[in-house]
Amino acid sequence: MSISFTHRHILEDRMGGYEPSPNANHLTVVRRPVIFSTLAHAGHEAAVAEALSLVEDVVVRSVSPSDWLVVSQSASAATISASLATIPGLSFAEQSDGQVLMALSGPDVRTILAKCVAVDLHADMFAEGQSAPMMICRVAGNLARTGADAFEIIVPRSHAAYVFDELRDAGREFAMTRGFGD
Amino acid sequence: MTSSRIANVGLVDHSRVVKFSFDSRSYKGFEGDTLASALLANDQMLMGRSFKYHRPRGPVTAGASEPNALVTIGKDARTEPNTRATVAELYSGMVAKSQNAWPSLKFDIGSINGALSPMLGAGFYYKTFMWPAAFWEKLYEPVIRRAAGLGKAVMEADPDRYEKSWAHCDLLVVGSGPAGLMAALTAARAGLRVILAEQDFRLGGSLLSETAVIGGVSAPDFVSATLAELAAMPNVTLMPRTTVFGWYDDMVFGAVEKVQKHVAVPSADKPVERLWRIAAGRAILASGAEERPLVFGGNDRPGIMTADATRTYLNRYGVATGRKVAVFTNGGSGYRTAADLSARGVNIAAIIDSRAESADYAPYGVRVIRSGSIVDTKGGKRLSGIMTNRFGYDEMIDCDALAMSGGWSPIVHLMCQRGARPVWSQEAQAFLAPDVGPLFIAAGSAAGHATMSECLRDGATKAHAAVEAVGRLVGHVNTPEVEGEYDPSFAPLWYVPGARSKAFVDFQNDVHVDDLALATREGFGHVEHAKRYTTNGMATDQGKLGNVNAVALLAGMRGVSPAEVGTTTYRPFYTPVSFGALAGTARAEQSRPIRTSPLHGWAKKNGATFLESGFWYRSAYFVEGEEKTWRESVDREVLNVRQNAGLCDVSTLGKIEIFGSDAAEFLNRVYSNAFLKLPVGKARYGLMLREDGMVFDDGTTSRLSENHYVMTTTTAYAAEVMAHLEFASQTFWPDLDVRFVSTSDQWAQMSLAGPKSRTILQKLVEEDLSDAAFPFLAAREVRLKGGLSARLFRISFSGELAYELAVSAGYGEAVADAIMEAGREEGICAYGVEALDVLRIEKGHVTHSELDGRTTADDVGLGKMMSAAKPDFIGKRLSTRYGLTAADRLQMVGLKPVELDKPLKAGAALLREGVEPSMTAGQGFVSSACFSPHIGQWIGLAMLKSGRERIGEKILVWDAVRSTEFLAEVCSPVFVDPDNLNLHA
Amino acid sequence: MASLITCPHCGRRPKEEFSIRGDAVPERPAPAASEEAWHAYVYLRDNPRGNIREYWHHVAGCRRWLVVERDNLTHAVFAVTDAREAAKGGTA
Repeated sequence: MSISFTHRHILEDRMGGYEPSPNANHLTVVRRPVIFSTLAHAGHEAAVAEALSLVEDVVVRSVSPSDWLVVSQSASAATISASLATIPGLSFAEQSDGQVLMALSGPDVRTILAKCVAVDLHADMFAEGQSAPMMICRVAGNLARTGADAFEIIVPRSHAAYVFDELRDAGREFAMTRGFGD
Repeated sequence: MTSSRIANVGLVDHSRVVKFSFDSRSYKGFEGDTLASALLANDQMLMGRSFKYHRPRGPVTAGASEPNALVTIGKDARTEPNTRATVAELYSGMVAKSQNAWPSLKFDIGSINGALSPMLGAGFYYKTFMWPAAFWEKLYEPVIRRAAGLGKAVMEADPDRYEKSWAHCDLLVVGSGPAGLMAALTAARAGLRVILAEQDFRLGGSLLSETAVIGGVSAPDFVSATLAELAAMPNVTLMPRTTVFGWYDDMVFGAVEKVQKHVAVPSADKPVERLWRIAAGRAILASGAEERPLVFGGNDRPGIMTADATRTYLNRYGVATGRKVAVFTNGGSGYRTAADLSARGVNIAAIIDSRAESADYAPYGVRVIRSGSIVDTKGGKRLSGIMTNRFGYDEMIDCDALAMSGGWSPIVHLMCQRGARPVWSQEAQAFLAPDVGPLFIAAGSAAGHATMSECLRDGATKAHAAVEAVGRLVGHVNTPEVEGEYDPSFAPLWYVPGARSKAFVDFQNDVHVDDLALATREGFGHVEHAKRYTTNGMATDQGKLGNVNAVALLAGMRGVSPAEVGTTTYRPFYTPVSFGALAGTARAEQSRPIRTSPLHGWAKKNGATFLESGFWYRSAYFVEGEEKTWRESVDREVLNVRQNAGLCDVSTLGKIEIFGSDAAEFLNRVYSNAFLKLPVGKARYGLMLREDGMVFDDGTTSRLSENHYVMTTTTAYAAEVMAHLEFASQTFWPDLDVRFVSTSDQWAQMSLAGPKSRTILQKLVEEDLSDAAFPFLAAREVRLKGGLSARLFRISFSGELAYELAVSAGYGEAVADAIMEAGREEGICAYGVEALDVLRIEKGHVTHSELDGRTTADDVGLGKMMSAAKPDFIGKRLSTRYGLTAADRLQMVGLKPVELDKPLKAGAALLREGVEPSMTAGQGFVSSACFSPHIGQWIGLAMLKSGRERIGEKILVWDAVRSTEFLAEVCSPVFVDPDNLNLHA
Repeated sequence: MASLITCPHCGRRPKEEFSIRGDAVPERPAPAASEEAWHAYVYLRDNPRGNIREYWHHVAGCRRWLVVERDNLTHAVFAVTDAREAAKGGTA
């Protein structure tokens, strides 16, 4: 007997079958990102950070001076896992299903996010490429700026529906649309 | 009824009529009106009844400090009581009602309280409630509650949305009058990120009410030009309708924005109110100054208001507050008001000036009574005359309105909210803002400046300092010239002698001078005592208008300076803030960050009833067929697990990955039992203690490879255990090489329990699961048929042959479905946490019902898990101290009621048989109880004094809450399979 | 309490991101230390007014334990340091 198991995204129910054409302000839920928690052991922090920056097809989100989330929307978990395994002083655990990645973009996205996070997202204070762990809609998550008006957030799967609902409400006055993306 | 509106005057749009109703009568106002200005324009001066004496009242102010004109706005679920008509932005379709009057505002039966006023003086409430309770509980309190009150809240749920937001800036400017505008402009031109917050719906503050010319244009035009420049700058945020209500630590300000309080039916796409937390580098308080009322006999009649309010209604709203207006003043403000009224053709009855002489000019032909005073007033629903007195000679002067000015009090509330008290200035005859450091400073009239040009200049100067302090270059800002401003200086007049009727100090709470005198006589002259004794400064206005007068009066009565009396404590909020705004989005389903299990969908389609457990929703039990009560479902699930098999969602357990060459050593120090020699591929049950020797949490830890472990914690303690490990690693033993990360959300974890669980699981798992190949406590990565990898643990909470299978969360539902399908012919069922609880009680396994922070390992029969060999582990040292090893400690035992039908309930007390029930005779308590379908009666786990020696004893179970008592037999806590034969099958 | 705490790793953050454990002054005694020393460590706390040292955990941020030195009267925060660094430096 061989079984093919269907993968389900936690926000499947929230999308309710309809995916409107995106407005200027849009929330994309990335369907199958690859996410790893990576931890440097004491003394290896700088070397690990350097090595992570060289891994191909991934972005690195900072969590602490010795912790990062390694995220990819193109490479497979097996490929990334193999790369991570070669880095000395690094431990890692896959979180692809444990974390939910959402991307927000649009002219009002900073105003929307100000309802969700306490961190000042002015470009002088939180520059493009920057990422940090923070409370997002009362949930511990990670936020990154990917463009002038583009951000990505990562929150634990179990909280994702709650955070999604909060974001949806926060975006309502700007007609923010929502949909899955790959 | 004639209108008091003056054509084409003011900032209201005379071409846009707004229809509204007040007490069911229709009125018309203009766009830009407040409810108060629109009512005044319709000659509706009477707007409320006072709190205690039900006296007729009209507005005293034109702003946020209004004590009298409190109305209820809106209808049905959108009804909002206690709204100040003076700040309520008029909108089309507004439905407003007066409060505290029955049957109507005009004929209010409660006004008989006025006749009873000698009985309702200061301390009335305290004195009344000192009578026997039987008196006031049944008789007085309900009557008082009905008679003395504000508006009524409605019971319907609020249909509107609220939200919260953060804002960040270099400089927050509170208030948009002359000082605020100049401050914002100066800082903005220098490139600072500026937020300008204004409680009014229109920015401009007092400039909107003044007739002076600034830089060659009218004051309102100056405002418009300045705002246009500010609005065009990307570094400026203008926030009208936003009241900064609180100043908190680290320069965080609380503000509430009325987003949609000026529409009849708000759009669902926006909140009605938004609560702001503004993190400011610096802040300037430009909140202006409050004009003080004068305290004279009969000073509360409708039509008597401050000179400033009179001017605002006239100049901003184009409304004359009377046909023939008298002025009572101790300074320049009264003269300015007379001049403005006169210029608009309003008759001035007279100016009564308390001073013997002054440099102020009265309008041509207006009579000035110097060294004059008012000792009484007349009129019912509206003022009809004033009794003036000069050197002992009375004179009645007819008038239908009175503008009074008693000097100015800077509005320093925000700066005093963090402990600093305002400072009395003899020169300004006012309390000034305290020095609270360089980050938050007052400017303009909030800082005690008097004239408009001083305020403009001060705003620019203070912002200049802020710009320099952050190291920016100051742009060039010219303070514009002001023409035709007036000198608002005044001579103090706290109490007008010779009052022939009540002279009110706090209008809202009906506190008059005699009340303060009584409080002083009765020993309650301290300002904080006087507040409570007289209710001066309580309720919605919190003494904004009356407090300074009250302080000066108390000072006079006590023969000291106002500085010595001081003020009462200032606290947030500056003005009332709705509960909706404070809650934001956190209501109903979104009141807390709910967590959803990856098996939620599986549980739902199998008929689960969910139970809130912390932030989680866990499946409690699964209803099948005709089952009507939860017990029927739970009994079936329990029996089925012991006979066949069951599948339970345990994804909510905490899961922590542990890495490092010292991980084994670290685990050995945080668990009380030994962990150094745990082999790879094995799980071990572990017990964690607190440093005081009590049990903290339990769970299993499995060694997946040499330096990689995975720990499971209880659902309830997942976060605490993670924090505990991090604390121990970072502070106790920073040199141990160990790292942790929570993977609680990555795994869907399910417990498959029951004698047929192996058969079922083997259908899905590639590896051999025979007892020899995968024995009890085996823990390994396995491959499911089809290739999906999983973690499999042979551990059991139910006492049956059982496995915990963990798969990547996205596949959880599909794998659970496949197990149900594979187990169909073996009779598998889904079971929930209720059945799990029964299964573990039957087996004598503990949860936090037993591990309640007061139990040691030995108390719950786990004494053998205390490793004596280890030199150190958390909790070791104090676990052996006196008292924690005593023989008479409460120990865990099982309980079975002697009569089979007695239901045992957790929380019941245990007593020796034959003892009179009392808490002092307690011998312990029932910690967990359930109906055991296996045993066929209720059973329980209990903590009982020296319990293990008392097996077989009959003991009294006394439940004082449910009023039951019956006998139960003390027995072993293991009711099922004491030799663990099932576990190792 | 403070409204904003400057985490040495994450920058200025709202207090809601932290949980406070309490006094950072007592040090865990050696395993064999006297029962009195252990009793003092577990149970005895000074309750000073003014300058205090506390353990704060940045739970919604970097998850590091921090030592916050602050004034419990004025709520001024003087310093925030990483507890591990402090422990390794022996000054916690």
